[in-house]
Amino acid sequence: MPSDLFLGDAAARLRASVVAIVDEAHGSGRGRRASRGGHGAGFAWRGGDLFVTSAHVVSTQKAVVVTPDGRAVEGRVVGRDVDRDIALLHAPEARVPAVTCGDPYALRPGSLVFAVGHPLGVKDAVSVGVFQAVRAIPRGYGMAEQRPRRGRNPFIPWVQADVRLAPGNSGGPIADVEGNVIGVAAMIVSGLALAVPAPDLERLLSNS
Amino acid sequence: MTDSRSSIAALSDQLADAVAAAGASVVAVHARPRLPSTGVHWKDGVVVTTEGTVKQEEDITVSLPDGKRIPATFAGRDRGTDLAVLRIPPGSLRVAELGDPAVLRPGNLVLALGRLDEGGARAAFGAVSATGGKWRAWKGGEIDRWLQSDLTIYPGFGGGPLVDSTGQIHGINSGALSRPLATTIPVGTVNRVVAQLLERGYVPRGWIGAAMQPVRTDEGGGLLLVSIEKDTPAAKAGLLLGDVIVTIDGKSLESFDQLLDVLSGDSVGKKVGLDVVRAGKQRKIEVVIGERPRGRGRR
Repeated sequence: MPSDLFLGDAAARLRASVVAIVDEAHGSGRGRRASRGGHGAGFAWRGGDLFVTSAHVVSTQKAVVVTPDGRAVEGRVVGRDVDRDIALLHAPEARVPAVTCGDPYALRPGSLVFAVGHPLGVKDAVSVGVFQAVRAIPRGYGMAEQRPRRGRNPFIPWVQADVRLAPGNSGGPIADVEGNVIGVAAMIVSGLALAVPAPDLERLLSNS
Repeated sequence: MTDSRSSIAALSDQLADAVAAAGASVVAVHARPRLPSTGVHWKDGVVVTTEGTVKQEEDITVSLPDGKRIPATFAGRDRGTDLAVLRIPPGSLRVAELGDPAVLRPGNLVLALGRLDEGGARAAFGAVSATGGKWRAWKGGEIDRWLQSDLTIYPGFGGGPLVDSTGQIHGINSGALSRPLATTIPVGTVNRVVAQLLERGYVPRGWIGAAMQPVRTDEGGGLLLVSIEKDTPAAKAGLLLGDVIVTIDGKSLESFDQLLDVLSGDSVGKKVGLDVVRAGKQRKIEVVIGERPRGRGRR
């Protein structure tokens, strides 16, 4: 296996579908945030004009979507599930190829996965690791010890992976070795990467 | 091979196979509140985990790969190497397939396994960072090989195995021995400590019953005796306060590590010769190494 091909094809394909999301509330007002070139990631989900990101990335109804070829286009929030931390943006001018989705429930622990996002402002960065589980957050891990906030269900399943995420990965995809998206990067708990399972997107976003 | 997609998919499958194979001998150990730790079914009926994660010696249970939770009995612990041993009924699960850590080289892909709940074995992925010879842990234990990786030892992964890409187990991961690095206690050390713990419940440590301080002398250095307890090997040998031990067993003695090397392993009962400087004159003294009393100092 030539080393320069390690995940290269799958990563290139997925990176072509990943955008940066700049929150309007931050992008126009406070220069410090805007100069970082966005503080979240997202990816083209359907038809090239619908984008998935994290709800905590978009605080208002509008956001700027920065395409892989560097165009900044307007996006409008058309769906939001704050409890699951998922938002759907409509950006008709973006014209970005949609991702293909995979099934995290079919993955075995130890399978290679990778994330694409903009950790600490580094554009379209790839980080590689392995899949662990799709389950509720393990007992004794950070958030699981706290009382669930605002009626949040502590037993909802998360894609859990040993892959390095940082601020700027939020809303970006985590994919299997073929580049099929298995989850939406949401947060890090006790060092563990948590993502919203891809199969949940359909249901969450049709309800919103 | 030219098809990168299939070869990377094959590697992914191989890693998942390795997790499945090694995971069949990995249990969750419930010996502390809230968060379990991980244990390895090292030999039939014997589970090894890290000493630091065993907070209770009664009412311990382990979760098996099939989700069943069974009682385990505490067999012994060794703080020096951060290992603890439990007994479970024989035949409860597959016995670990052990590898030879000496074959691992920096850059080799490895996995750390953990079992936290009923959801199957979990894995962290990385590479061997550094290997080396024998070393002494800060807790005092002698470890046969230095084996460090860039793996993340997640909460609850302590006591779990270091697994290579074929599924063989090369040792027990300790988050506590060399924090924040992932350090593995290699198979040979685990075998040695497990045998001692099963036989006695603890690892006997050599001891002479004196407190010492490193000092400089005209000839180099030595250890100055600053207290000697009654009825100890040091007292019986006629050592006196103020003596400076400059050699032990024919080797110069300038640091505690050199003394601990002589006192480790099967040293209990062994007679060793000392060169001692007393009142400016060098003399020879023989001391019979005793066994460090348990329940005093470090266990």
